[in-house]
Amino acid sequence: MPRRSSLPVTFVVPTLVILLILSMVPTLYAIVIALQNRELSSTAYSYVWFSNFVDLFFDRRFLNAVWVSVKWEVVTVVATMAVAIGLGVLMFEVASPRLRNIYCLLFIIPVLLPRVSAAFVWKFAYHPLYGIATYPYRLLTGGLIFDPLSKPATALFAVASVDVWQWGLFFAVIVLKLLETLPPQPIEAARLDHARRWQIHAYVTLPMLKAPLISLMFVKMIESLRSFDLIYVMTRGGPGVATETLDMYAFSQGFIESGKVSYASAMAVLMMIATVITFTMLWKRVQA
Amino acid sequence: MRLGRLIGKTVLAFAGFMAVFPLLWTALNSLKNNVDIITRVPRVVFTPTLANISYIIGRDSVMTGLYNSVIACGVAVLIGVVLGLPAAYAVARYPNRWAGDIQFFVLSLRFLPPVAVAIPLMVIWLQLGLYDTLTALIVTYSLLTISVIMWLAIPAFQAVPKEVEEAAFVDGYGAYSVFWRIALPVAARSLIGAVAFSFVLVWNEFLIALMLSSSNAKTLPIVASELSQQGMNVPWGILNASVVLLSLPPLLFLGVLSGFLNSVFRQKKT
Repeated sequence: MPRRSSLPVTFVVPTLVILLILSMVPTLYAIVIALQNRELSSTAYSYVWFSNFVDLFFDRRFLNAVWVSVKWEVVTVVATMAVAIGLGVLMFEVASPRLRNIYCLLFIIPVLLPRVSAAFVWKFAYHPLYGIATYPYRLLTGGLIFDPLSKPATALFAVASVDVWQWGLFFAVIVLKLLETLPPQPIEAARLDHARRWQIHAYVTLPMLKAPLISLMFVKMIESLRSFDLIYVMTRGGPGVATETLDMYAFSQGFIESGKVSYASAMAVLMMIATVITFTMLWKRVQA
Repeated sequence: MRLGRLIGKTVLAFAGFMAVFPLLWTALNSLKNNVDIITRVPRVVFTPTLANISYIIGRDSVMTGLYNSVIACGVAVLIGVVLGLPAAYAVARYPNRWAGDIQFFVLSLRFLPPVAVAIPLMVIWLQLGLYDTLTALIVTYSLLTISVIMWLAIPAFQAVPKEVEEAAFVDGYGAYSVFWRIALPVAARSLIGAVAFSFVLVWNEFLIALMLSSSNAKTLPIVASELSQQGMNVPWGILNASVVLLSLPPLLFLGVLSGFLNSVFRQKKT
């Protein structure tokens, strides 16, 4: 590499400047809006400083949304990793190379779908009377009705299942590829010691893949924050507030119900602070 | 042991079936008349109709949505390529003490909740008189495409053997022509994967498009979701047809993206 070249400067600086402007302007402006009392219905506004944030802590719907968001995050991340590791190991164990390629192709399809499409596909499938996914239940019970999306107890899991359908299958492909990159010697050594198949994976291969698996989980945690499209199409936060996550509540406060843009922005700012701090800390730990 | 393998194979086959069946069923429903969809027992045999598909293609709102999606995503990806690839190359090949920070900054853009960005942007675009225009959407999406392309292209450029580039320098190539004539072509396969990924990402984007458009700049996902807001008045076949139309473009990249995955993990092995 030549020591002195203008290339790094001309290539990096313009891009970084644009990225900084595009990201910092809205971020800072979100904070400014959160300190005001803007509403959609009027152009007049003034600074109210922290009163939006104070109000939030007495807003039971906000506290519910925090709780729903945490549940969503835990359910989708854990289920995705379980499905991914389970199917990944299965493919590694029982599928021939040709079959593996076919499965890999099939398992990537759901994640490529727009979330809106995936949400529709499953909204139809979960329809209590005409849905294909509820058909086995109707068949077995002789026509009883099961409506997973309109029961508070099951709605969150029904929506989460779509997220896991998209990401769990995709991550299974990655887990398989990771297993394929491992050197065969430790696995053979374990086999010579008469270890069972599941023991080989539980004590040898998966511990060897600890670092990439944690990175994978990290990616899923970030992607799980983007639940809005699924929930918006499938339940709109309902029934009641059973699936109302923070972004859904912020959106409905800001644009559907009351037009309180500043209130919504205060919520978004809290979300932003929480996620940026959490993920920065996690990332530094993953890297270390 | 035999039994275990058999169970394993069955579970896998079931998962493979689950991966595609819901989508195939949707595609099938898009060819059905309403009477064949609204049945308690799912119907596999029916007289197919193209009415739903031709209705969707004939609707102005859908065609405008398609046009908006193609332009907004296409231009944003182009901007992402022009600005993201050179920057990624510089970070990969001329590492300085900020290289790690730059990489983290690019990744951290992904931590930002979309609502937190969309609310202020809506206010900003309104004030600039650009709300509900493709320009606003393209600029906003560029943030996504640039950062994603950069993030994926850095390792792709790092995987190019250094010796190839050094040989080119010895032959008298300048820094820029090494980028153009050596690094870009050698890394092309992975780079195309990265670019395709960024396209799928913005094509599928929903929340920002929803908040930055009200009538003129609606993208296809927004139009499709609005069809459903009319409830059961819209025949299900039409909704299914719109889902199929919306899902086709990302699926066109299936081959490219699975090749990309393979190449990423092959690099790790060596």
